[in-house]
Amino acid sequence: MFAIKELFGSKFKFSLIALAIGLVVSLTMVTSAMSEGLLTGMSGAKSRLDADALVFQRDTYPTIERSILSADDLDAVAGTSGIAGAYGVGHTYASVGSVDEPFDVRVFGLGGSMDQLPIIEGRAASGHDEAVLDATAELDGVEIGDTITLTPMDASLKVVGFTEGRRYVMVPTVWVDLETWEALHLAALLGAGDDGEQAGEVAAARMAEQFSGSASVAAIDLEPGTTIEEVQRGLGDAYRVAGIQDAADAGNGMPEMILAVNGIQGVSVVIGALLVGVFFYITTLHKTSQIAAIKAIGASNAYLYRDLLLQITVLVAIATVLGTVLALGAGAGMPPMMAFDPDPRRWAVAVLAIFGTAYVGSLFSLRSILKIDPATALGRTSA
Amino acid sequence: MLAINDITKTYGSGRTQVTALDQVSFRLGEGKLLAMIGPSGSGKTTLVSIIAGLLTPTSGEVIIDGHPLHLRSSADAARYRRETVGIVFQEHHLVPYLTARDNLLLVPHLSGRITREDRTRADDLLESFGLADRVSHRPALLSGGERQRVAIARALMNTPTIMLVDEPTASLDTERGFQVVEMLKDQVHERGMTCVMVTHDMRMAEHADERLMLRDGRVVAG
Repeated sequence: MFAIKELFGSKFKFSLIALAIGLVVSLTMVTSAMSEGLLTGMSGAKSRLDADALVFQRDTYPTIERSILSADDLDAVAGTSGIAGAYGVGHTYASVGSVDEPFDVRVFGLGGSMDQLPIIEGRAASGHDEAVLDATAELDGVEIGDTITLTPMDASLKVVGFTEGRRYVMVPTVWVDLETWEALHLAALLGAGDDGEQAGEVAAARMAEQFSGSASVAAIDLEPGTTIEEVQRGLGDAYRVAGIQDAADAGNGMPEMILAVNGIQGVSVVIGALLVGVFFYITTLHKTSQIAAIKAIGASNAYLYRDLLLQITVLVAIATVLGTVLALGAGAGMPPMMAFDPDPRRWAVAVLAIFGTAYVGSLFSLRSILKIDPATALGRTSA
Repeated sequence: MLAINDITKTYGSGRTQVTALDQVSFRLGEGKLLAMIGPSGSGKTTLVSIIAGLLTPTSGEVIIDGHPLHLRSSADAARYRRETVGIVFQEHHLVPYLTARDNLLLVPHLSGRITREDRTRADDLLESFGLADRVSHRPALLSGGERQRVAIARALMNTPTIMLVDEPTASLDTERGFQVVEMLKDQVHERGMTCVMVTHDMRMAEHADERLMLRDGRVVAG
């Protein structure tokens, strides 16, 4: 095909074009991944729980921080029709005070398997007083094997592994089993109850009894064909059920942030795609006399359209590969605190938009060329 | 035999209407080279574009070997140009990223596929134009005269019945211009084609078998 010969015949020119488009592709991908990373940093701990939905205490949705379900509540949830499985998830505030510069964390207790956390370094927590931390805690000086002290509960945990993509409200998370969380949660409440003084033994015992077997929310798996609405009806007004993604996208300013992020991604894709479309419109127009000459020696319009589409497909495909490599390289070079979370679907949308406008831009341009007087197209100024 | 019968071509309408050709007629037999002369804006290129099927006349008809030219679609026109017409442009319009040989092979490529015979024919044509050592050169590496000879060779690639040549010597010095016209004339006589050559240059026109002068879209001498 002569379109391909043109690519190889003008390597430098087309390399520059591919580089320019590749940079546009890369820009839209990096913007998309960084804004997705921002959302993951806000709610990754919630959105990546291994469950279909979360069950909150009445009137607390979407604030996991305020919700509390007793052991009886958890039993009631687990026994509800349409729920295939349920486990408690606990949440509490804490700070890591055993490092040079103390930092805030969110402690999550998992009643389900700890295996749902992807371990990128170390191992999964297997017992009491062991914890897996989000890898961003490494930036605050925490290492595998360290024993960290959480305040205000003054509890010690051994760091046995790091996971990723599990931050919450942009701070690192500490993952422990639900029993450990219960103890930490109780200690936090008692410690905060009387300005640092130990609560009375009676009050402590009463609270321990009250919180025994509790969790903040219940993570549930639905039976096939069961909807969240059906489970909500089954549980009644004492609880609020939300899909895992809906729960993650609610609260903590998430709806506003999602709107802003979608706006940023949308604008970058639209501008990137338009830029590529206009670019191809202009580069095709620059070939007016060449296209007119090939038409004059017998090329049909169909041939010219086909040839142009083939050339653009090859060129944009090369640019897409280049742009993807650049974007992934940029992501790999970013420090963990800089959120970078590629979403293949959003990248695919950006690439499809760029392919689409590249086709539209050049086909519109070719259509214009084929409509004008051939003498003019061939560069004649006199008739 | 090429016959042009009362060809009129107008652009626009109403008060802005411009008549590029006004009832132009002539006949040209096989093996004849016609020089079409006229000042800028006289309608020469418009007439050549109509004969080439690139433009449709407002009225009148083009008759080739006794058959009126009826191009019902752009695909029809493209096929007509591939099979019947050879065109040489003023600025050669060789494809810059193709070698001299590939520029010639573009013609059979547009017809479907390139055969071994096509490759042999392309090499033979280039050799007959003294370009045997330039087959693998791209246009940028050829001189002006060489480019124009490649363009003529390309126009001959499909063994055309009608050859249309637009200002073939415009970018050449006088001596090379004469060489190109002589070469063209030889090919026309040898192959029995009908050739219309547009030129501004009366000295070049004198080498043609016949001459036709256009002014303001009308035949004023011929």
